[in-house]
Amino acid sequence: MIFVAVGTQFPFDRLIKNIDQWLKTHPNETAFAQIAEADYQPKRMQWEQFMDVETYQQKIAQASVIVSHAGMGNIITACEQQIPIIVMNRQYQLGEHRNDHQADGLKWMSKLTGVYAAPSSKELFHYLAQYQSLERPQFSKNNRRDSLINFIETQL
Amino acid sequence: MSKKILAISSPGGHWIQLNKICDGLQQHQSHKIIYAVPAVRFKSKADKKHYNIIDVSADNKWKLLPCALQIFYILLKERPDTIISTGAAPGVLAMFLAKVLRINTIWVDSIANVKQISRSGRMIKKHVNVFLTQWQDLEDDIAQHQGAIL
Repeated sequence: MIFVAVGTQFPFDRLIKNIDQWLKTHPNETAFAQIAEADYQPKRMQWEQFMDVETYQQKIAQASVIVSHAGMGNIITACEQQIPIIVMNRQYQLGEHRNDHQADGLKWMSKLTGVYAAPSSKELFHYLAQYQSLERPQFSKNNRRDSLINFIETQL
Repeated sequence: MSKKILAISSPGGHWIQLNKICDGLQQHQSHKIIYAVPAVRFKSKADKKHYNIIDVSADNKWKLLPCALQIFYILLKERPDTIISTGAAPGVLAMFLAKVLRINTIWVDSIANVKQISRSGRMIKKHVNVFLTQWQDLEDDIAQHQGAIL
């Protein structure tokens, strides 16, 4: 199952339409989308606007790949669950966010193993075509998080 | 030593980062952590003490005052030792109020802000006790890098 998630703040119709379009030519694939308060309703996959945390985690656990907006939440979850994630950034110029920080995010996110940056539908379709052979994120209890938490502990 | 902490942020990525930090702190020692975040529809069923606050951003200034009043009430009622925030606007409000009430404050700038410190971070930077960036190359006189959540 391909799990698609656009975050909770805004809709991201461009991403959802792209997935719908891809599913049209890949009728044997199944996808599930979280679409927020969107105008466009997916035609070729099941969807919810929002889900509670537990349902969300269940869907993630069933996914072979996650396709997401370039939001922190889904990146962290994908890394921790070690599920490959393809990220597409919202574009300020298209009115998809209040600034272009998601484009900046893409630059460092794609440096992480198992995180694939798709600035346009071209890259998105490229990675979807090979989603079953994408590398998994390598997250394990890493030192960077431990040192951050240990430091904060000393400042409480 | 066990502390009382108020953890406050915007929903979405800020909130997830904040929870990762607080969950990490709880593994060391059992602190009493109180959470404040807008948009309760995404709340976990997990047993955490939680205040639902008005969803504000610096873009809708007319909501800032009622949100500030909510936070002020929480601070007076709970009297935390420390406030931790990852941003954005609710964290800024809480830390300005904390300065008046002389509560210790720790700002952890979002990992999403890779090119420069976040807008909310720049607003509050000079008014917090500890300011952390998750990116080494954004360190300066005030912002220090001690690690990152990923």
